[in-house]
Amino acid sequence: MFSEQAAPTAQGLLSPPSAKPPTFPRVPVSGYSDCSQPFQLGERSFSRQYAHIYAVRLAGMRPGLEQRARSRWGNDIALRKLSELQAGEKCCVVGTLFKDMQLQPSILQEISEEHNLVPQPPLPKYIQPSDELILEDELQRIKLEGAIDVQKLVTGTILAVYGSEQDDGKFLVEDHCFAGLPPPLPWTGPSSDRFVLLASGLGLGSVSGEALLSTQLLVDMVTGQLGAEGEQSCAAHITRVILAGNLLSQNTQSRDTLNKAKYLTKKTQAASVEAVKMLDEILLQLCTSVPVDVMPGEFDPTNYTLPQQPLHRCMLPLASAYATLRLVTNPYQANLDGVRFLGTSGQNISDIFKYSSMDDYLEILEWTLLAGHISPTAPDTLGCYPFYKSDPFILTECPHVYFCGNAPHFQSKLLQGKEGQQVLLVTVPDFSATQTACLVNLHDLTCQPITFSSFGADSED
Amino acid sequence: MEQPRRITDSFPRRRRGPGRPPGRLKDKKDKKEKDKVQVKKVQVKKVQVKKVRDCPRAPSQPPLDPALLEMLRRFDLSWEYGPCTGITRLQRWERAQELGLSPPGPIRDALLEHGDNPDVTYRWVWGGTGG
Repeated sequence: MFSEQAAPTAQGLLSPPSAKPPTFPRVPVSGYSDCSQPFQLGERSFSRQYAHIYAVRLAGMRPGLEQRARSRWGNDIALRKLSELQAGEKCCVVGTLFKDMQLQPSILQEISEEHNLVPQPPLPKYIQPSDELILEDELQRIKLEGAIDVQKLVTGTILAVYGSEQDDGKFLVEDHCFAGLPPPLPWTGPSSDRFVLLASGLGLGSVSGEALLSTQLLVDMVTGQLGAEGEQSCAAHITRVILAGNLLSQNTQSRDTLNKAKYLTKKTQAASVEAVKMLDEILLQLCTSVPVDVMPGEFDPTNYTLPQQPLHRCMLPLASAYATLRLVTNPYQANLDGVRFLGTSGQNISDIFKYSSMDDYLEILEWTLLAGHISPTAPDTLGCYPFYKSDPFILTECPHVYFCGNAPHFQSKLLQGKEGQQVLLVTVPDFSATQTACLVNLHDLTCQPITFSSFGADSED
Repeated sequence: MEQPRRITDSFPRRRRGPGRPPGRLKDKKDKKEKDKVQVKKVQVKKVQVKKVRDCPRAPSQPPLDPALLEMLRRFDLSWEYGPCTGITRLQRWERAQELGLSPPGPIRDALLEHGDNPDVTYRWVWGGTGG
């Protein structure tokens, strides 16, 4: 956007300003509705076990999977529960996957005295060739082997397998299928170019302040204080900014003060206090000009389990005076100008990355959409609230834009579904590392990266 | 002298489920818990007083039909409606209803009718903690 429209007016940078300073009104917000109610927790009771969330996940996704199994393998296939299996009979079973991994961090192994083990250091990936897949339904479980990629799949996925039980008690899989893309939503997007800026991983409070200049450039660009009239008119088309998590840096999470004696740490402040003040000032500059949605991330001061609740507005006293600031949950779902956005701050994708052979964040993002669930590894390896009534992470409607924050690079892809679904998949990169944000065009569902790099002392050009 | 009386003669040992946060009057079940807690405190203080004697329940309730309790137990143990621990029977019934599993209607009527009776509303606990 910027390069095409700014080029003709580039000479404006070296000429005196025009006699009458032009104003660029920002495109008005025409339609916004927040659809994140399922992710907002009311009363929180942790006295329940996680069996409930798995039971409702299976019960909720079973009808859709049975329908997909019928359409894929024929209407007359036998749908059996594990307790009804007969050896040698070809049938289809719907259940939850469990991946038995040797390297999976287990608190019981760590504290077990007979092993005398040192706690395992965190690894980038915990997969091993000896991992096994087990299918569970409401009552029983069975080992899976055959035409199924053990390394790729993760615990908690609901899928349908077609095959037969062998004599040794294992299930030989001939084919399997997932829930597939959810049903499409009607498209009521805007008729002209409208942009939404997606950024994540601002990483405030880190030791090095290199990303601060890029953050300030981002803010200045969005508020129209950078560039000549060309850039300013482009920036006026940005209707919203979504900050997808990790506003604070990982450095603010240090817990050294917990181990020291009280008399040494009495006057020290948590690093996150200073970082939140910086965040407040940055958000103040943004909120005076554009609506901002702030999602919490892994290192932000909110709860750890998914769904993360919005940051409290008392932490941002200056910015929360403006109605343009919206503190939202992670995951976040909303209708912006008729376009349905759904996204997370990236914890679900990075958790699947650790336990699966898939390396590409965009591939994992697409896979979660095809599996019909935002975060199948919750609650196994990712903290999750013990829901009992329904699993809010099941995808019931297909969003138009599906994003995840804090990815290593920027990637985007337009996915077309068989029932007319069109989804723009975006992996928003970590801003503190890559200084890149994403501009999503709501009119034609395209996405372009925008990089705010500064020239450091040791860079060549 | 009569045989030494134990306190458990008058106040039979009752285990309640995993601790619920006190002071929350939102749901019926939490109110139940609060009442039980209050009744228990009364038990401890006024041991000798004959007024609060027999069962921790409100004395005006008649004893429950064992067939009803048996029906509720069978509802708890039926695997089609999911796990039974950690939620009240009414919550489990409503969850089954929303998932389309068509739980039997008489169960709900019984739960609503005896909604103030802790034996009815709570999930079935056996011996130890309900966890």
